[in-house]
Amino acid sequence: MSPAPNRLLRAAVAAPVFDFWSRQFGSIQAWDRCLARVVARREEARGAVTLTLQPNRRFAGFTPGQHLNLTAEVEGVRLTRSYSFTQPPRTDGRLRLTIKRVENGRLSNALCELRPGAVVELGEAYGEMSLPQGPGRYLFLAAGSGITPLMALSLALEQNPQAEATLVYWAQRRDELCFAEELRELAARQPRLRLHFALTREPLRLAGEFGRRIDTALLDEVAPDLPALQVFACGPRGFVEDARRLTQERALRFHGEAFTPPEAVAGGAPVRVQLLRSGQTLEVPAGAPLLAALEAQGLRPASGCRMGLCNTCACRLVEGVGQNLNNGETVAEPGSELRICISAARSDLTLDL
Amino acid sequence: MSQATLNRPLSHAEMDAFGTELDALRARTMAQVGAEDARYIRRIVAAVRYTEAAGRALLFFGAFPPAWVLGTLLLGLSKILENMELGHNVMHGQYDWMRDPHLNGKTYEWDIVGTSDNWRHTHNYKHHTYTNVRGMDDDIGYGLLRLFPEQRWRPFYLFQPLIAVIFALLFQWGVAIQRLELGKVFSGRKTKAQLREEFRPVGRKMGWQLLKDYVLFPLLAGPFFLPVLLGNLVANGMRNLWTYAVIFCGHFTADAETFPKSVVLNESRGHWYLRQLRGSSNLSGGKLLHIMTGNLSHQIEHHLYPDMPARRYAQVAPEVRAICERYGQNYNTGSMWSQFGQVVWRILRHALPSRPGKTAALVAPAAEAA
Ligand SMILES: Cc1cc2nc3c(=O)[nH]c(=O)nc-3n(C[C@H](O)[C@H](O)[C@H](O)COP(=O)(O)OP(=O)(O)OC[C@H]3O[C@@H](n4cnc5c(N)ncnc54)[C@H](O)[C@@H]3O)c2cc1C
Ligand code: FES
Repeated sequence: MSPAPNRLLRAAVAAPVFDFWSRQFGSIQAWDRCLARVVARREEARGAVTLTLQPNRRFAGFTPGQHLNLTAEVEGVRLTRSYSFTQPPRTDGRLRLTIKRVENGRLSNALCELRPGAVVELGEAYGEMSLPQGPGRYLFLAAGSGITPLMALSLALEQNPQAEATLVYWAQRRDELCFAEELRELAARQPRLRLHFALTREPLRLAGEFGRRIDTALLDEVAPDLPALQVFACGPRGFVEDARRLTQERALRFHGEAFTPPEAVAGGAPVRVQLLRSGQTLEVPAGAPLLAALEAQGLRPASGCRMGLCNTCACRLVEGVGQNLNNGETVAEPGSELRICISAARSDLTLDL
Repeated sequence: MSQATLNRPLSHAEMDAFGTELDALRARTMAQVGAEDARYIRRIVAAVRYTEAAGRALLFFGAFPPAWVLGTLLLGLSKILENMELGHNVMHGQYDWMRDPHLNGKTYEWDIVGTSDNWRHTHNYKHHTYTNVRGMDDDIGYGLLRLFPEQRWRPFYLFQPLIAVIFALLFQWGVAIQRLELGKVFSGRKTKAQLREEFRPVGRKMGWQLLKDYVLFPLLAGPFFLPVLLGNLVANGMRNLWTYAVIFCGHFTADAETFPKSVVLNESRGHWYLRQLRGSSNLSGGKLLHIMTGNLSHQIEHHLYPDMPARRYAQVAPEVRAICERYGQNYNTGSMWSQFGQVVWRILRHALPSRPGKTAALVAPAAEAA
């Protein structure tokens, strides 16, 4: 469509109206949002489900090792979390995600219950892990759901003949290992991938499986040439910190991605507030009303009543933990509107302000 | 009954207790907000869309009178729902907790000639924070009408019975230009350049609304251009009259009070609640009335809890009323006829010079001295 009629059409139809009728007619096309339909679902392992998604035309692509923010509605409320692509880009444009259930987790369990036909919303792909073309030697350290982006990178080895990698994948029990068969087959046909499983709560170990958490001896065994390797570690925060401690100094490069959400800090400890629109990052005391704290540093965010009722100062929480000072509730759900006149930071925050 | 005997001035301690009870009621209710409220507002969205589609479709056959009448009614209904139960309430951030970008308080754009951004300023901020405070809440007579004896009389107000009718018919235009504060331009407190700057987004929205209702849709109907145009005009008129009536009933009934600027100085939460109560009035009626007024039939509850999903007002109303009774405060409610009758009386009465009657103070004098 040429730009002029396109613009006219855009002006003539409001996005909410277009999106409403599109959904009424069962389509996943949307005015400016990327919606995706679940087209297949598979039990991947105990407590993990793989979903295949068909995104609409708004999906802009990704590279193996990246993640995206996925939004789905649970009990009328939209929840957003990050998930990683578990396959390199496919010719049919479909996306594969694998979701591990987290105990009492609000979104992970809901996603694991989705059936083909369900519709979710996708954000843009992001993430710094990648496997550039050309020579490269890697050590992939994955724990739990941290396998997901490293699965995509392992598969990507096939398209990058000069890269080679060792993957160590931790789980508590054998039946919790995702992609176990797929990985074994990949390692069998692809000598540039060396594969190790480590099971921390499995009474009986099979040949080649480790039975303990990450430590120096284990690393020496799987990666005697650590100084020549780039290390990618993904998993729970504690695991990534251990991996960092054990390899950062010795390896060629370390890159870790923690999959557990940030935790709230108490008291008036300084936290960093990143403001996306104004491109600034400031330090404010945790627990102090944000509007006043930002004003004290010379900023002039929109405000009105300054008592939490007019909604003028509301801005979107992109990441981090905030707190409503009127009722003491913590707000950690990405995408929540924070009324900054009555809200404080409880961790490093990113705001759409 | 005179206003002085309706309400009891509260001591500071009573005022705090009053505020605490209302805060607790709010917390209890907000804890229940969830899936049910989400389902409800989605059903309202669907009702708005389907009635609009049906109305516009019928208007294409508007040469056939029954189709024109039904189409116009449906379109008017859709516009009223969109304005009140959907737009007004969403813009208060009542559904922000759903995190749906199409139901976001800061970005929702409604189907009237006024921009949502200006509305958020004049209504959400000014009107709700400074409700019925003279000189701070521009909704008091909209700078056009004298509804309270405390407003200074001028000969201009003799024409207000006529002006009020014109204003009602063109209500959306009044809302659209409210933020421009034309009075300031006439009195020289705002420059023409400033006005031009402020008018730009307003003009764009007006142009677009006019184009949509009076050019695009009529053109789509081809030979039935005129019936469609007229249908849209009448539907917009219906919405204007209805919203005007509802909004005026909310703050300009006989017992509604206005306040001097001094009340907002160091105002406590309880005092703020009390002022919201004294400045607001409800409409009693059934479920349909509540939905069609966007639950502004519960104006009192709306002013106490502007960001609570409006469908919850009916649920909290009996408790609010009981709290008011305990604190000796009048809970101003009545049928639409009775309340609107009082509004009309105000419009007529205060067209002529009038002097303030006696109202009960908010704060008990003894307590104030202490
Ligand atoms: C970059 C990135 C990529 C990710 N990729 C994937 C992926 O591919 N597959 C996948 O399954 N998950 C992935 N995650 C984790 C995912 O984003 C969610 O955190 C997870 O699904 C839990 O969400 P929830 O709503 O179910 O739990 P919540 O309701 O948010 O949390 C419930 C409780 O569980 C704790 N918790 C939250 N997340 C975890 C976790 N990951 N492990 C242990 N405890 C947790 C919380 O602190 C809380 O106490 C990724 C996270 C990040 C940051
Ligand atoms: S300034 Fe009014 S809600 Fe924050």
